[in-house]
Amino acid sequence: MKVATRIRRSARVGRTAVQLWLRYKAPAVGRRLSGREPASAAIMNRRHERTADQILKLALSMRGVMIKMCQAVATRADMFPPEFIEKLKQCHDAVPFQPFEVVRAVVERELGKPLDAVFSEFEEQPIAAASLAQVHAAKLHDGREVAVKVQYPDIEDIIRTDLNNMQRVCRIYEFFDPQPLELMPLLKELTTHLSYELDFEREADCSERVLELFSDDDRVKIPEVYREWSTKRVLVMEKISGIKITERAAIEAAGLDPADVVQDLMYIYVRMILAAGFFQADPHPGNLFVTPEGQVIVIDFGLSKELPEGFGLGLFELMFSLMTFNESAMVRAFGELGFRSKSGDDDTFLAIARRMVSRSDSGSFEGEFTEEMTDELFAAIREDPVAEVPSDFVLVARVFSFLSGIAHTLGSRANVLRAMGASTG
Amino acid sequence: MSATASPLHYSEEELLSSGSFREPLFANGVRCHGGFDDEGRYCSPRVLFRNPAINAWQDRLRQGGDTLFEISPDLIPPVHPNVAQAKLLLQNGVREPIVRALTIISIVEGFGAMIRDVKVPDLESLLVEPIHGTALAHLQRGLFEAHARDESGYRDEGGHKQMWEAARDAALENPKIPGDVLMRLMGRRDQRGRRKPLFPEIGEDLERSLGFMANVLVVEVMAAETFQWGIDLLSDPEISAAPEEAGGMVENIRADEKPHVEYLRTALSEVAARTIRTVDGKQISGKVVIDGLLHGILSEVIKNRRSDQRDDLREGLEKAVQVAAHPQRLLEDFDSLEFDWTPPSQTGFEASEAA
Ligand SMILES: Nc1ncnc2c1ncn2[C@@H]1O[C@H](COP(=O)(O)OP(=O)(O)OP(=O)(O)O)[C@@H](O)[C@H]1O
Ligand SMILES: [Fe+2]
Ligand SMILES: [Fe+2]
Repeated sequence: MKVATRIRRSARVGRTAVQLWLRYKAPAVGRRLSGREPASAAIMNRRHERTADQILKLALSMRGVMIKMCQAVATRADMFPPEFIEKLKQCHDAVPFQPFEVVRAVVERELGKPLDAVFSEFEEQPIAAASLAQVHAAKLHDGREVAVKVQYPDIEDIIRTDLNNMQRVCRIYEFFDPQPLELMPLLKELTTHLSYELDFEREADCSERVLELFSDDDRVKIPEVYREWSTKRVLVMEKISGIKITERAAIEAAGLDPADVVQDLMYIYVRMILAAGFFQADPHPGNLFVTPEGQVIVIDFGLSKELPEGFGLGLFELMFSLMTFNESAMVRAFGELGFRSKSGDDDTFLAIARRMVSRSDSGSFEGEFTEEMTDELFAAIREDPVAEVPSDFVLVARVFSFLSGIAHTLGSRANVLRAMGASTG
Repeated sequence: MSATASPLHYSEEELLSSGSFREPLFANGVRCHGGFDDEGRYCSPRVLFRNPAINAWQDRLRQGGDTLFEISPDLIPPVHPNVAQAKLLLQNGVREPIVRALTIISIVEGFGAMIRDVKVPDLESLLVEPIHGTALAHLQRGLFEAHARDESGYRDEGGHKQMWEAARDAALENPKIPGDVLMRLMGRRDQRGRRKPLFPEIGEDLERSLGFMANVLVVEVMAAETFQWGIDLLSDPEISAAPEEAGGMVENIRADEKPHVEYLRTALSEVAARTIRTVDGKQISGKVVIDGLLHGILSEVIKNRRSDQRDDLREGLEKAVQVAAHPQRLLEDFDSLEFDWTPPSQTGFEASEAA
C-alpha cells in the first residue's frame, strides 16, 4: 500500500475519533463545570444514533477492518447502546465490489496458472461481495460448477494499517476517559477473528471438520472444498443453490414446513456448539439456505471456533437453569462458563439470574435464546460494571440470537431439548 | 372443574402441592425437592393429592370392568455394564465410562421437562365416551407439570437431574465430567425422528401426543432397571465414597418415579377403554391404538436397547481402559462378567394389533 494511502486512512480514522470524543465527553465536562444535570436519555440516544451513522459511513467507504469493527461492535450488546447496534448491523450488505481484472490477477497469482487452465467458465460479475472477499461462479474443466471466493488484493495490508490506527485511537481514548469502555480486548479479539477469516486454508479445514460432523446426516448440506484449487487466498468449492433461509414464502412454496426448517437449524447449531464444541460462528441469513428437499445448507466457515472443553455442558446448564427458573443453578452455570465478577463474589450473578428468571417467568422458556433474552442478559451485564463476559459466550449468544431471529422470521420456535434428541415423539 | 377435593377431581394447585416436610432434602449441598417426615422417612414432592388421585382413577377404571395394563419388566434388558462390570472398571481406576453414564442419566432425567410441552388435543371431542373425572382430564391440569418438575427441578429446588448429579458427585468424589458427554448423548439415538404415523386415521396431533406419552411410560419402566443398578453400585462401599448418601439418593428418585408410571399407564388405559373418532368421521377402538403404539415401541426396545447400550459403552471403552494397569486383561475380565439375556418373544400388546 502506498504511504500516502496509509496516511490518508490513518487521518480519517483519527479525525472521526476526535469528533466522537468531543461529542460525548466535551458536553459532559461542560455540564459538570457549569453544574447542570447530566444529559437526558433522549439526548443521549440521539447522540448515539448520529455517531453510529457517522461511523457506518466511514466504514463503508473504507472497507477492511472498519467494516469488521462495525460488525464486531454490532455484536456486543453487552457493551454498546441499542441505537448503535441497530445502525451498525447495516454494514453487512452495502460493500462495492472489485473489477474482474483485479480478481483474475489474484486467482492467477495464487494458483500459478492462467484462469482458463483451471476453469472452463468464470463469471465476471460476482455473486456477492463482502468485506474481505468476493465470490464468483465458475466451472471446472470436468464440468463441475463451483463458487470461487477470492480475497481482495492488499486486504491484509489494509487491515494491518487499520488495526494499528484503531489501536492508537483506543489508547488515546483510554488515556483521556477516566471510565473507558474496554475497547482493547475487543480489538484484540477482532484481530484474532480477522486472522482466521483471512486464512482460507483454515476456512477449508473448518468446513471439512463440520462436513465430517454431519457426514451421516442428510438433514444438513455443507459444500465440499476443492483443496486442489484452493490456497490461503482463493477458495474453490462446490457451488450450492437453495432458498435463502429467511424466505418463508419460497420455503412454503417448496412444500416444506418452516417449523421443520427452524428445528433442523437449531439441531445443527446445538450439535456443533453443545456437543462438538466446534462451530461455524456466523449464522447470518446470507450463510444459510434450504434445498427444495428440505436440507439446510451452511456455508462460510471463515469464522469458526473451537470452544473450551466443558463449555457446551456449561451452556446447556445455563439454558436448563433458565428453563427451570433455577437461580442457584444459573449462578453455577455462569461460573462454569467463565463469567467473572471483578469483586469476586456471586451477588452480581445472583442479581442477573434473578432478573433473567423473573423475565422468562411469564412464558415457558424452551431453551431458545431469543434476541430479547440475550438483550436482557447483556443489558443486565452492561449496567453492572463488575461483570466480565467470556468472549466465547458473546460469540455463542450471538449465534443463538441470530437463530432466534431466523426462527421469528419463519414464524416458528425451536426447542433446544428436542434438538438434543430429548423427544422421540 | 370444581376445586374441592372430591376423589376424582383435583385442581392443578392440588396436584402440585406437597404438604409440609419436617426437613428439606439437600443433595450434596444442593437444595432438592421432597423432604423427610418426623420419622426421618423420605417423602416425595407433589404427591399429597397426586397419589390418592391416581388411586381413585385406577379404582374407577377397574370398577368399570376395564383393564389397567401393565408393561412386563421382563421386556427390559439389564443395564450394561452390569453392576459387577461397572465395579470392576471403577476398582481398576477406569472411571470415565461410569461417570459419563451417570451424567447422561442425569441429563436424560432433566429432559423429562419436555412433558409439559406436550400439546394434547381436545380429548372431549376426540373420544366418544366422556373423560370427566379421569387422569386424562388432568394431564394438562397438573399431572404433566408435576412430572416435569419432578424430573428437571423447579425454581430453587433441584429435581432428579440434580439428585443424580449429587449421587454421582458424592459417590465418586466430584469426578471430572468427560467432555464428550453431550456428543455421546446426541449421537446415540436415531435422530431421524419423523416417523411414519401408525394410525393416520386418528390424526397427527393425537397420535403424536399419545405416542409421546407411551414413549415416556416405556422410558419410566425401563428406568426401574437403572435405579436398581444405581442403588447397587453407588451404595457399595468398595467403590463409593458415600454409600449411604449416594445410594439413598437414588432410592429417593425411585420413590418419586412411582406416580409417573402410574398416572401414564392409567391415562393410556383410559384411552384404551374408550373409542376414538377418526378424522374421516368413523370410529376406532382405543385399545387397538394404544396396543399398537406400545407394541411398536416395545418391539424396538427388545430388539435394539441391549445392543445400543453395548455399542455406546464399547465406543471408547478400549481407550478408557488404558489407564488401568493391565488393560487387555481388564477387558477380558469385563467380558467374562457379562450375563446372558434372552429377549422375550412377545411384548404382550400384539393381540389387538393383529385385530
Ligand atoms: N459454495 C457457494 N455456492 C454458492 N454461493 C456461494 C458459495 N459460497 C458463498 N456463496 C455466496 O457468496 C456470499 C458470500 O460468501 P461468504 O459468506 O463465504 O463470504 P464472506 O466474505 O465470509 O461474507 P460475510 O462476511 O458477509 O459472511 C454468500 O452469501 C453466498 O451468496
Ligand atoms: Fe426422574
Ligand atoms: Fe420419571
